[in-house]
Amino acid sequence: MKKIGLIAVMIAILVSAAVFAGGQQEAEQAPAAAESTDGFDWRQFEGQTIVACWPNHGHYNATMKSGVIEEFEELTGIDVEIDLLQYIKMHDKQVLEMSKASGDYDMVSMVVMWKAEYAMGDMIEPLQPFFDKPNLAVPEYDFDDLVPGYVEVTGIAGGENIYMDGPGAKLYGLPFGSETSFLVYRQDLFDEYDIEVPETYDDLIEVSKFVHENIDGVGGLTMRGASGHHATHGYLLHASPYGARILEKGTWEPAFTEPESIKTIEFMKKMVEYGPPGMTGYTQDEEWQAFLQGDAAMYLDASVFTGAVNDPSKSKVVGKVGYALHPTAKTAGSETGGFGLAIPKNATNPEASFLFMQYLTMKETERKIIDNGGAPFRMSSVNDPALQEEYPEFEVLAEQLKYANPDWRPIIPEWGEINSTIGININQALTGEKTPEEAMEDAVDPIRDILIRAGYIDE
Amino acid sequence: MSSLSLRQKSTPLMFLLPSLIIMAFILLVPIIMGLRLSFFEWLMRDISKEPTFVGLRNYIELFKSDNFRTSVFVTIRFVLSVVVIEIVAGLILALLLESGLKGMRFFRTLFVLPIMVAPVVVGVMWRFMYNPSYGKINYLLTQIGFERVEWLSNPDIALTSVIIADVWQWTPFVFLLALAALQGVPQDLSDAAVVDGANYMQKLLRIKLPYIASILGVTAILRLIDAFRSLVVIFNLTYGGPGVSTEVMSLHLYKSAFVSQRLGLASAIAVLLLLLIVILSLGLLVSNLRNKEN
Repeated sequence: MKKIGLIAVMIAILVSAAVFAGGQQEAEQAPAAAESTDGFDWRQFEGQTIVACWPNHGHYNATMKSGVIEEFEELTGIDVEIDLLQYIKMHDKQVLEMSKASGDYDMVSMVVMWKAEYAMGDMIEPLQPFFDKPNLAVPEYDFDDLVPGYVEVTGIAGGENIYMDGPGAKLYGLPFGSETSFLVYRQDLFDEYDIEVPETYDDLIEVSKFVHENIDGVGGLTMRGASGHHATHGYLLHASPYGARILEKGTWEPAFTEPESIKTIEFMKKMVEYGPPGMTGYTQDEEWQAFLQGDAAMYLDASVFTGAVNDPSKSKVVGKVGYALHPTAKTAGSETGGFGLAIPKNATNPEASFLFMQYLTMKETERKIIDNGGAPFRMSSVNDPALQEEYPEFEVLAEQLKYANPDWRPIIPEWGEINSTIGININQALTGEKTPEEAMEDAVDPIRDILIRAGYIDE
Repeated sequence: MSSLSLRQKSTPLMFLLPSLIIMAFILLVPIIMGLRLSFFEWLMRDISKEPTFVGLRNYIELFKSDNFRTSVFVTIRFVLSVVVIEIVAGLILALLLESGLKGMRFFRTLFVLPIMVAPVVVGVMWRFMYNPSYGKINYLLTQIGFERVEWLSNPDIALTSVIIADVWQWTPFVFLLALAALQGVPQDLSDAAVVDGANYMQKLLRIKLPYIASILGVTAILRLIDAFRSLVVIFNLTYGGPGVSTEVMSLHLYKSAFVSQRLGLASAIAVLLLLLIVILSLGLLVSNLRNKEN
């Protein structure tokens, strides 16, 4: 009996080994892209290993699915290891790694709000010196084709307001998984109930209310509302069109008690009332799920969402959605955010990492990532009629990018603390624990303390 | 003679010395370093620079901070609730399963399973179950005619939801220890009581409970200390929200260190947390010892 069991186990191991070996062979035979590059030496760092800290995020998952990493490894002989983390938790690990004498990471994917902190803290490399070296810069890279708003928000720091372009600014990162915001709505429901696509925030309130009252089991707009970062993100999305600001330009004084800001929170409270249940506990995941599961009629947030919407394994609403511009209130203004790639100062193989960075953001690679559900980041792609045909959201995206607000949030190095503090208060206003006025008033002193401590304002 | 007795006295100490030195290094040194750091400002993003001395500023800031005060109250509410509920529930379960009825071994094994689940998994699992749209709990509630409950998004309910998850995981721990203690109650005492005509309640209150009280006391201290430090489940379940209604001190500490990046402030919270645990555990320990003497 024992013998038979042993033989069975051995057969199972042999069979599975054969199957996996087959898979490996297939991967090895995958065609390598960009080999045609004239005279550029892709193999100069052969044998090196680079470790990249990436988020578990639609765009990055699409990148890994598309096989471009294996193609890069084949083309260059460089080994790539990915340390995949939940995006909000990457920060702590990255800071720890980058503060050591020699860190584990050769590449980090940073959320835009960490950009200024990393750049000002001297934790990441300026990229211009790399681009200036002829042996490192890929000739047909076409930097100017990258969406300019994305480059500014994900990569540039040290200029005006620290986190923006201007005199003294340097390039620290390249956009990869960057986003703006637009409206995604349920075309089928809008057709069935004869609803007009909202163009203004007043329309948005009206449509949400209508959906809430007339369509059983479906809420109006899905929105992040969980205490802290997520509530602040939800707030900023609507603050920009309403004309509200976190900090006063020039003086750095808190400006979130102004009437525009209160109006923004009152709008959010209405969305909580008309939306799917439990939105005051929604992180990005719940926000997405509510729309993907068909519990909400509208979604107004990061544009990278479309990858998930069109994926039948994640979404119940494939083929049932339409896209429209971010509605306007006082002004038109959509978010700029998402991720950029950067090279830590203490990276072991920064040059190999730079090659990988360029490879990932080249036009051919971008197309493959888009085909697997990733987000475009080159103007040539969003404006490409063939792609617009295939991905109807690109047309909206091309238009929306004109209104993308690079000064969407004050991402100074202290932003993490401000973000968390104000987000707690916004959440308390959403749950009804405080009135919008009380909540914002309560955030003034703690945030002034942060700004005083950091030397932005005097006591 | 006297020198010999001194040597005799010091010999056991000498044997203990190596382990004492190691203990001092791994226990005392970090505590002292933490205490020292609590008087400094040291930002995580400037971790390569030297910390700056700020005196009592971190402590003053904490005592002035509404969020910190709330986190202290939330912690105390959380800890007292889970310890009391777990002791009572664990004891009742142990009493029910104490007798050697058929099939009891199966239940005993079943009840112990939650302890073996990693806290991260517990957090994620309960988060799914509490989900307002597709969570199983709300589904069952609506099936039997109740309203949906906003488990994690209502500030008045969220702490209860967190307590439920903790009780689910840790009641079995109390149950195990209580069961072991009950099995140590001498059978002849019970038998004698039955002969004297004692009913179940009398047997329980006069014999069993006094007999196992000291073990239950130690269990309570263990749970108390553990509950004060619990972070992972809450971290995954609510991350402190809504507002700060479930932000226990350990989570506040985490956020101060890793979100606000203020390592000095975080150390100050750690010192206060340690003080609170020491005071409460000492209280329990002393009363426990006194009980024993009586």
